[in-house]
Amino acid sequence: MTEISESAPIDAAQSGGEGRKLNVSTQTYLYVSLLIVAGIVIVPLLTTALGGFKTLPDLRGSPFGLPEHWQWSNYTDILMSKRYWLQMGNSLLIAVFTVFLTIVFSACAAFCFAHIRFFGSEYLLNYFLIGLMFPAATAILPLYIRIRDLGLLDTYWGVILPQVAFGLGMSILLFRNYFRNLPQELFDAAFVDGCGYIGFFWHVTMPLSRPIIATVGIIAFVQSWNSYIIPLIMLNSENRYPWPLGIMVYKGEFATEWQLVLAFITLTILPTIIAFFVAQKHIIAGLTAGAVKS
Amino acid sequence: MASVTLSNIRKSYGALEVIHGVSLNINDGEFVALVGPSGCGKSTLLRMIAGLEEITGGDISIGSEIVNELTPRERNIAMVFQSYALYPHMTVAENMGFNLRLAKRPKAEIEERVTEAARMLDLTELLDRKPSQLSGGQRQRVAMGRAVVRNPAVFLFDEPLSNLDAKLRVQMRSEIKTLHQRVETTSIYVTHDQIEAMTLADRVVVLNKGYIEQEGTPIELYKKPANLFVAAFIGSPAMNLLPATIEAADGVPSVRFSDGTLLPVSKSHHGITPGQKVTVGLRPEHLNPDIGNGAVIKGTALLVEPTGAQSHVVFELGGQHVTAIVDGERDIHHGQTFEAKIDPERVHIFDTETGVAL
Amino acid sequence: MFPTVPGDFADANGKTRMTTTDSILPPPVGPAPKMRRRRSLAHTKWPVVILFMPPALLIFTVLVILPMGEAAWYSFFHWNGYGEPSKWVDFRNYKLIFKNSAFTKALINNGLIIITSILIQLPLALWLATMVTRKIKGALFFRLIFFLPYVLADVAAGMIWRFVYDGDFGLVAGIFHFFGAQPPFLLANADTAMPAILAVIVWKYFGFHMMLFIAGLQAIDKSILEAADIDGATGWQKFRLVTLPMLGSTVRLSVFFAVIGSLQLFDMIMPLTGGGPANSTQTMVTFLYNFGVTRMQVGFGSAVGVILFIICVTLAFSYKRIFMKND
Repeated sequence: MTEISESAPIDAAQSGGEGRKLNVSTQTYLYVSLLIVAGIVIVPLLTTALGGFKTLPDLRGSPFGLPEHWQWSNYTDILMSKRYWLQMGNSLLIAVFTVFLTIVFSACAAFCFAHIRFFGSEYLLNYFLIGLMFPAATAILPLYIRIRDLGLLDTYWGVILPQVAFGLGMSILLFRNYFRNLPQELFDAAFVDGCGYIGFFWHVTMPLSRPIIATVGIIAFVQSWNSYIIPLIMLNSENRYPWPLGIMVYKGEFATEWQLVLAFITLTILPTIIAFFVAQKHIIAGLTAGAVKS
Repeated sequence: MASVTLSNIRKSYGALEVIHGVSLNINDGEFVALVGPSGCGKSTLLRMIAGLEEITGGDISIGSEIVNELTPRERNIAMVFQSYALYPHMTVAENMGFNLRLAKRPKAEIEERVTEAARMLDLTELLDRKPSQLSGGQRQRVAMGRAVVRNPAVFLFDEPLSNLDAKLRVQMRSEIKTLHQRVETTSIYVTHDQIEAMTLADRVVVLNKGYIEQEGTPIELYKKPANLFVAAFIGSPAMNLLPATIEAADGVPSVRFSDGTLLPVSKSHHGITPGQKVTVGLRPEHLNPDIGNGAVIKGTALLVEPTGAQSHVVFELGGQHVTAIVDGERDIHHGQTFEAKIDPERVHIFDTETGVAL
Repeated sequence: MFPTVPGDFADANGKTRMTTTDSILPPPVGPAPKMRRRRSLAHTKWPVVILFMPPALLIFTVLVILPMGEAAWYSFFHWNGYGEPSKWVDFRNYKLIFKNSAFTKALINNGLIIITSILIQLPLALWLATMVTRKIKGALFFRLIFFLPYVLADVAAGMIWRFVYDGDFGLVAGIFHFFGAQPPFLLANADTAMPAILAVIVWKYFGFHMMLFIAGLQAIDKSILEAADIDGATGWQKFRLVTLPMLGSTVRLSVFFAVIGSLQLFDMIMPLTGGGPANSTQTMVTFLYNFGVTRMQVGFGSAVGVILFIICVTLAFSYKRIFMKND
């Protein structure tokens, strides 16, 4: 089970168990089934993107078809607007800080758990793993009050810090498992070479941990980028909203002008889709790693 | 360079003691091999000398200083690991210079010393490669290079050849020996392979269950094993060990095997009395049909294993299997009666109870 | 995911082990034993722990553990979040929750989501996984397409499907128009809203479960299937008698994530229905949000949180104990 996240589950070379060729009827059955499911996945996305090019009557008349007249302005107006870029910028800013802090905090803690036997280390690790057991929503009201009392309400930090806190359990677990699998002799060799713990962490562990840093980073980034409930509760000012909140506001404003809402949705999910197809191997490996590795 | 002294070293894990008071002197420039079966404590001992493992009792000194509480770096030792433990993200040069870099030596000095060590180990071409781009033998040499660069007081080797294939192992063995002859650094070498220990070391220490069974030059161990354990451990194929009874035939001390064969032995054995039950040790290479004046033992050949220049013959003597080494040209078939002679001076006798050589 | 609590206390603690060892053993012969040796690694140990541990520990304690504890405390108060909680109401919040029909509905809906996941999503994911792991052209492409909805934000997916289900402009409306029928407003009808949402959940998450199964399938030694071939098993027999039993741990993992996911479901409901109409699509978390957060009923909302916490921990622990103890 642990193998897959290393070598990414999707790998064209890895597919196909049979040595023999599939016969025609099997092939037909496979392709027809796969195409139907793929259609169900794709059509909503495609009609959303196309819908953004339509006029409202056109959308009502033929939701599936190509636009009668391509309304580029639906898209360009949004692209010209400040709110779109502001929301994207907010999401990016929050995600980058979340990723950075998650990696630094969890790598440091996981290093202690992996290499140092200290009083109560096992208990402390289990303490962190409690965080895996329940969603952020369970304690959202006290969390809100805590953030309010810290004076962080309606700030980026009010979103970033809770996101980091709730990501720590999984990240520490992933880092610790990775660190523990580094050969013990490397530690001995570094020690003989004159490294202390911190030297080993800096000179050996971190440079060797790029794959797991990428995994933890991807998980933290995707979670933060898509995050809804924490910003919803912590932020009041629209100019600090990340895009999932922005979509909801936009939908509220333009209620039934679906063509604009569709264009807005398309533009907000576009970065995700592009990133997914560019880095699919790493993203799939990263997002399934949390499931399989822990 | 320095001498290493272990005095009454003990190691326990919880209530379990695994090293029971080992004392050993290693002279400056000497190459000492610690050999024994797995679990005998040899690696633990080495790691304690390195400072990677806590000492439960006793003292370790390097040079004139007691190093019990010093870190590996302060002990000025270098170590070659079984898996080489090269840093995968560093080039060969960076691997070799890492210690000096941590010691904050000037760049020019690091480069000079790395270049020098690389030249000595024939690694110059490989300095910019990563460990993953090297073959097993090359990695092994880099691991040694990393040790050489530091110019340490002591080299420690932890089964460095066990990950190599047989052919490469022989080659690297001679490279280690050449290296030691050139740099003359005190070396401690841990292995479970007695041939490796014999070929490399000035002195071999045989460990078993956390005790030293015997220490001495390779030839001493071979010729005069102190007990049954060492006798069985040193030499390949292993020494034949047969139960027998001491007799004094015509005033000549002899041993009688269970099938009635009587074998005269050297007069130099101490503490043997007629009627005593003993274990007799016969090295296969000393059981030879062709030497002139030996005593004869014989039995039915059960198995003939040609290895080329020599053949191993397993024959039966009083219900026991005995191995002999004969010239490969000699024509022996299984089922034949096989006859071998042995020089009485080369018959080993051990107390069956205590295992001590008599 | 959740290792068992360590039994060996002394083992986790080098110092304790050292001292007990020293006292158990007879003193070594020779020089008197030094009781407190400076352990060669130990003297650099604590500075590292003291430097590396606090950031994670602090933020986790302050923002995860303490709020959870506070939720338990606040749940006994009637409190609007301002000033100090002072109006102690015993278990009234809990009683109110269990009397609330919307909460019951939320519980049922969470159960429905789990059942749908197990009965529809899981077989679908497994079926697709067996197809895209075969030697066909475009297998990689299909895997990517199927995984795509999982990568999208729940909010975006919910919004897209709100459009799909829209009775005036959506795709469902288009289909009904095509057949000359009056299009329904699926999300506005309390009878159809939940089934519509279940469909979106399957659409959104089957790709993730498919990836789990692909991983599970690839972990099966090919020679075992070849041995089954030699033994004369047909394709279906091979699947039922060899592949499926070997996917046991993956199935259990998949169900586990379906359960956990169902209990967390919130983001996608909000753009689709927000829990309506008439509370017919509430889940635990939307209930908490709609009845606790938006009305600033800190005590009531905290009590919902506590119940959710207890359900999560109980389910996770017992599921792990019962079904996944060997995985």
